Amino acid sequence: MNKKILLTTLLLLILIPGITTAFTYNSKEFKHIIGQLDMQGHADHELSTCSVKKIYYDEVVEMLNGGKSEPEIIQSYVDEYGQAALRTPGGGTSGWIAWGMPAAGVGIGSVIVGVWLRKLTAKKAESKLETKAEWNSEVEKEIAAKTFDEERRKLF
Amino acid sequence: MYLIGNISIYLGIVISLYGIIANIVGIKKKSSKWIESARGAVLSLAFVASIASFLLLYLLGTSQFQYKYVASYTNESLPIAYKLTAFWAGNAGSLLLWAVLLALYTAMVVFSKEKKNPMMPYVSSILMVNILFFFTVMALNANPFEMTDKIPADGKGLNPMLQNPGMILHPVTLYMGYVGLAVPFAFGIAALILKRMDSEWIKLTRRWTLLAWLFLTLGNVIGGWWAYLELGWGGYWAWDPVENASFLPWLTVSAFLHSVMIQERKNMLKTWNVSLIILSYILTLFGTFLVRSGILTSVHAFGDSNLGTYFLVFMAFMMLFSLYIVMTRYGLLKKDSSPIEAYFSKESSFLLNNMILVAAAFAVFWGTMYPLISETFTGTKVNVGAPYFDKVMAPILLVLIVLMGICPLIAWQKAVFEKFMKNTLWPLAMGVATAIILFAVGVKGIYAIIGLSATSFMFGTHLQEFARGIGARRKATKENVLKAAFKLTVKNQRRYGGYIVHIGIAVIAVGVISSHTYSTEVLKTVDAGNSIKTGDYSLKFNQLTEHTKNGNGIVVADIDVTYKGKDIGKIKPEKIFYETWPEPSTEVAIKTNWSQDLYVVLSSWENKDKVTFMVKVNPFVSWIWMGGIIMVIGTAFALIGGRPTTSRYQINKGISRVGG
Repeated sequence: MNKKILLTTLLLLILIPGITTAFTYNSKEFKHIIGQLDMQGHADHELSTCSVKKIYYDEVVEMLNGGKSEPEIIQSYVDEYGQAALRTPGGGTSGWIAWGMPAAGVGIGSVIVGVWLRKLTAKKAESKLETKAEWNSEVEKEIAAKTFDEERRKLF
Repeated sequence: MYLIGNISIYLGIVISLYGIIANIVGIKKKSSKWIESARGAVLSLAFVASIASFLLLYLLGTSQFQYKYVASYTNESLPIAYKLTAFWAGNAGSLLLWAVLLALYTAMVVFSKEKKNPMMPYVSSILMVNILFFFTVMALNANPFEMTDKIPADGKGLNPMLQNPGMILHPVTLYMGYVGLAVPFAFGIAALILKRMDSEWIKLTRRWTLLAWLFLTLGNVIGGWWAYLELGWGGYWAWDPVENASFLPWLTVSAFLHSVMIQERKNMLKTWNVSLIILSYILTLFGTFLVRSGILTSVHAFGDSNLGTYFLVFMAFMMLFSLYIVMTRYGLLKKDSSPIEAYFSKESSFLLNNMILVAAAFAVFWGTMYPLISETFTGTKVNVGAPYFDKVMAPILLVLIVLMGICPLIAWQKAVFEKFMKNTLWPLAMGVATAIILFAVGVKGIYAIIGLSATSFMFGTHLQEFARGIGARRKATKENVLKAAFKLTVKNQRRYGGYIVHIGIAVIAVGVISSHTYSTEVLKTVDAGNSIKTGDYSLKFNQLTEHTKNGNGIVVADIDVTYKGKDIGKIKPEKIFYETWPEPSTEVAIKTNWSQDLYVVLSSWENKDKVTFMVKVNPFVSWIWMGGIIMVIGTAFALIGGRPTTSRYQINKGISRVGG
């Protein structure tokens, strides 16, 4: 019997703080949830002057204290307002397109630049073949190099 | 007054129409008389637009509430500075501001030392088409000189959020940036019409483009600073559609400023450059369309506006016209361009940088427009808010920072890999050292550490570039360090101005990454005499007092602040209750030191002794403003000096001809 009382007391001691610790606006869990909600376009408003944001804040705290988990809270808003409840596009085709398009843009851009560079350098290779005999002798090359050096020096 | 105002607007339409026609006739008949007359029209337009602007300023300053615009945006008790800045608080006034800036810019261009340039009639015509559009819209839909049916005793007043020094600077600088881009656009199109495929138009507009970019930078930074001070949510950039609209041309002009260097040196990327400037110009119209159409929700939008259609039509017209001109000259643009010597060269790296900047612009555009696209095509209503942009843009901007660290180390034409590696060593070591130090001191957040290390690498590259330049100069001239540094930068203001801008971006990056990752926020209710502790700060709430100023009720909280146990003075966050506005306005209290901001908002109160505060500690936010200032200094430095490099291609061409 004593053992049972001791165990129950111990359990209560462990559980009571957990049960009674209410979620507040400063709770990590609260901030994480609220950061995902668009709040009907009021997400970036200042709390003290925005009644809509205040309602959302209170609702989320209430739901958290009522024992609801993060996915449940988010889902409850999605059920009510659709994907528009969230600040970022969620799953589904629309979400995939939203997130995938910038990546596709970078990918396509890279391919275009790659092809372009290849084309431009290939053009250079062709023109190099054509102008291969530009230097008639090593002396001419040396004179040109010296001229370039002199010009470079003049820059200072 | 009413007559003068309206006559000036209708005269604006008539004169700009006349100017365009005079130019066309002058070009057709090759008559300098007509061209001269068109030039006179430009001067008249500047005069008429200035008259209209001064008149509106006078009406606002003297509270003439018989005018709808004055009654809608001012009231008797509004301080004179804000009465005057109400000029651009509404649709009609901001259109007039756009028109007057455009008219003044056009006059400056047309009467510059290039006034005899054959491109000029075309340039002035294109700019006058823009002026015509703005005057027409004002006459048809947004007349700033419209009268009220009944004269009100007092005006509605200005939105409290607009009663901030930011209101004086932010809209004007942004408009100057937007309007400034019309000049290189007009020159680019004029060059294409005349089939002048060299880079003369780039040379002629280099300063205009840089100036427009400078104002866009300034406008965006001031906008961020204003939002931080005034909106009270503790951030500076919300990826709001209208913020994005001003960021888009900034990105494309940044790409343009880099790619023109390739055209100047190699006479290549001609189609790309002209497309970039057209895109940038169209994006300025797009931004204005967004603000005025109301198609997207934004804090910046002019609520009661139906001007979007006008802008959409004008934007479509300018886009189609530009496309037609480019397509018909495409063959010419492709001719006579030099190839790239090697994959590993500055030219290639600039191409990559352009790709990243344009991809960034695309990502911002896509995110901004996606709610509309999704609803139209899939029927699903979605939001694309700040978290989306943060996630999408972070890797793109990281690549950009790394590229900014690499590009200055790569040589023109053909870079030698071994030499590049040797040059990269110190900056790379700086980046790695930053990462190690951050880990060692217990800084968390792997992405932030990567970002900060990349920024350090980029900063190191630029420091090394300065050091190398000074070293080379000292070796050649035996000057002392200061003299060598001064002469080096002055001799090549364009290059080193650009480097200063990059350093400014590095400073901003530190601010953005740190404040985004390590900001803390506490919302707490305290009784008088009690304290709130957050980070190294302790805030003791003393009392809540109330007083009136200019007829507005002000509630002030008195707080003593200690930092690491040391008293650092008082802060007084406020709530202002305006007589003319339903919502109270928040006046944030900020204590700044070099590494962090204490940001306090008076949130609410139950009674005078029980008050709720929002307290944020934002690390390195002041670095963002400092970086902005450095960027402006760098741009101004490149702007006032800098030899146009169009001659380089011609010189190179000349050499190759002689050589050949």
